[in-house]
Amino acid sequence: MKVSFPYFGTGTVAFKAFFEDFGAEVVLPPPPTRRTLEIGVRHSPEQICLPFKITLGNLIESLELGADTLFMAAGTRKCRFGYYHLVQERVLRELNPGCRLFGLSQYSAFDFVFRRLPSVFGTPQLRAARALRMLLARSSLIHDLDNMVRRLRPHDLSAAEALARDGLKLAGATQGGGDVARVRRELRSRMPSELRPPKARIGIVGEVYLMLEPFANAEIEKELGRLNAHVLVERSLYRHIRRLLNSDPAYLRTARYAARYIGESPGGEVINTVGEAIHFARQGVDGILHIFPFTCMPENMALEIVQKIGDDYQVPVMSLSFDEHTSKTGLVTRLEAFVDMVARRKTARRSKVA
Amino acid sequence: MELPHYNRAMSVVGIPRALLYHRYGRFWQAYLAGLGFEVKVSSRTTKRTLEDGLGKVSSEVCLPIKIVAGHIEELKDSVDYLFLPRLVWMRDQLYACPKMIGIPDLARINVPKSCKVIAPMIKGDFVLPHLRAGMELTHNPIRVWNAWLKARHELKVRTELPDFPPDVRKVALVSHFYNLGDQYVAQDILDTLTEAGLRIYSKEDLPATVLAGDEGLAGSIRWVYERELYNAFRFYSDKVDGICAVVSFGCGPDSLVTELMRQEARSMKVPFTQLVIDEHTGKAGIVTRLEAFAELVRKHKTAG
Repeated sequence: MKVSFPYFGTGTVAFKAFFEDFGAEVVLPPPPTRRTLEIGVRHSPEQICLPFKITLGNLIESLELGADTLFMAAGTRKCRFGYYHLVQERVLRELNPGCRLFGLSQYSAFDFVFRRLPSVFGTPQLRAARALRMLLARSSLIHDLDNMVRRLRPHDLSAAEALARDGLKLAGATQGGGDVARVRRELRSRMPSELRPPKARIGIVGEVYLMLEPFANAEIEKELGRLNAHVLVERSLYRHIRRLLNSDPAYLRTARYAARYIGESPGGEVINTVGEAIHFARQGVDGILHIFPFTCMPENMALEIVQKIGDDYQVPVMSLSFDEHTSKTGLVTRLEAFVDMVARRKTARRSKVA
Repeated sequence: MELPHYNRAMSVVGIPRALLYHRYGRFWQAYLAGLGFEVKVSSRTTKRTLEDGLGKVSSEVCLPIKIVAGHIEELKDSVDYLFLPRLVWMRDQLYACPKMIGIPDLARINVPKSCKVIAPMIKGDFVLPHLRAGMELTHNPIRVWNAWLKARHELKVRTELPDFPPDVRKVALVSHFYNLGDQYVAQDILDTLTEAGLRIYSKEDLPATVLAGDEGLAGSIRWVYERELYNAFRFYSDKVDGICAVVSFGCGPDSLVTELMRQEARSMKVPFTQLVIDEHTGKAGIVTRLEAFAELVRKHKTAG
């Protein structure tokens, strides 16, 4: 049995180790590329959103590499995301009738970890508990690593990229709680003590896959780092899992903020998007970027609300939607203009105060 | 000069003529009138309505949402309350689409202070949220109960099946009730098909028992109106000569479910066409495509 799943940004490493803790052999597809997207688009319904196309392409690539047991996030409720695996399973079965696709329901995470997975792999539940603990420890390490990299980028881009590369390698190889703590200390020691102040601080909110998978968002964080902007992101795999396990204290704050604008969640990550936008605005960021897939249902409903938050808190907001035709050059031009605008606005305000 | 609302004879409650209005509108009108309000339903959708709505919502949302935003624009300055029930889920945890759920929040940030958005939250039970909204508006339980008793017969659902005469060419128009119920969106489509001599069947002609079924793939579709759509498709697929799905661009649930329908129609060898509509759709394009489709339906009949 060869296990595989689509890429999910830096969290992929933690997921790989998670399945290995169950004793599974993991075959990772290559990181998403143009080819992944092309394969995905070829087998996708015409009007579906971007994450469907990339994850499907990724799953097909892992079939090519010999994987036969595939995992995909699911949870059929309001957002299309929950239905992905139903349509993807039909496509994958046509390509390889022997493969299995398991939908990981986001709304019953405990059930999935302690009942479904042990039955698939034939492992005792105690081992599942250990795997879950390590998944949280590793993803928390990656969460910290990502934040360090984001802070380091405007200071020294190449050092930041080296830190990201080495950090992920170390995080994937950790074997226990003590090991994780050691790696965390080691990575912290690589941060310079004096950091150049960034040109601007920009918070990113939006749809979770678009925020966490660099291929889907055309490496927006790196591009902003190149423009000397310090990127702030509240979302991470760690936070996401903690929320699904109903144990994320930061989510309580997010939900409390979001309740000012939203009476009932329209599904997806709208509560997070709106709550984090307010959080960033209160923290005094220089600008907020709202990113989501083209025709995303929940985020398009959030769009007007995020714009309104920008008005209410006097923060520039830019909304960007992504699909397979998004060009990196076009994106970078818009980012440059945005970063310049918020930086100029910041200096103008400061001189007005002084 | 306009009088402040406490001086008016009656407070005005506005209902946008869009989305759920096309199913529950008659009930809402009767209920709110029974509560003692003047009910103002926005006028029929025009190009103007749509243009008003375009600036108020994201450019990527579907046509019905742009239309409802236009209707809200029309009402917001002339009513004291805006009645916008928020459908989250119906029986068996069948969800509405994210956009429908989000509309009251969008309305709240768009309307002026003089207009209050009343959004009873429907989660499973349909009646209780309406009674609660009635209490919010009148603070008078007796009046609320009487209004409900008077209005409830408007909620009757269809129980009989439509007839399928053998000598007429039949076509099923598979689309949401808020698309087909809006004459601005659907009139050209209906006219073209009728002129081509086809009898049109829609989802609204079927009894609720058929629409609520969960056989086959319907069981895994957890959007309430998509399940109805899919069940209607299944029911009609062996009784009509052609199926036309009318989908608005950017409709998320339809983008998945229509794909499933297309696959099934192909395996059953029923003529199937998908018409994608948005605010730029012109009459000429619709007519051309539907005439071609009607021709296909006629050929199918002769072959069968």
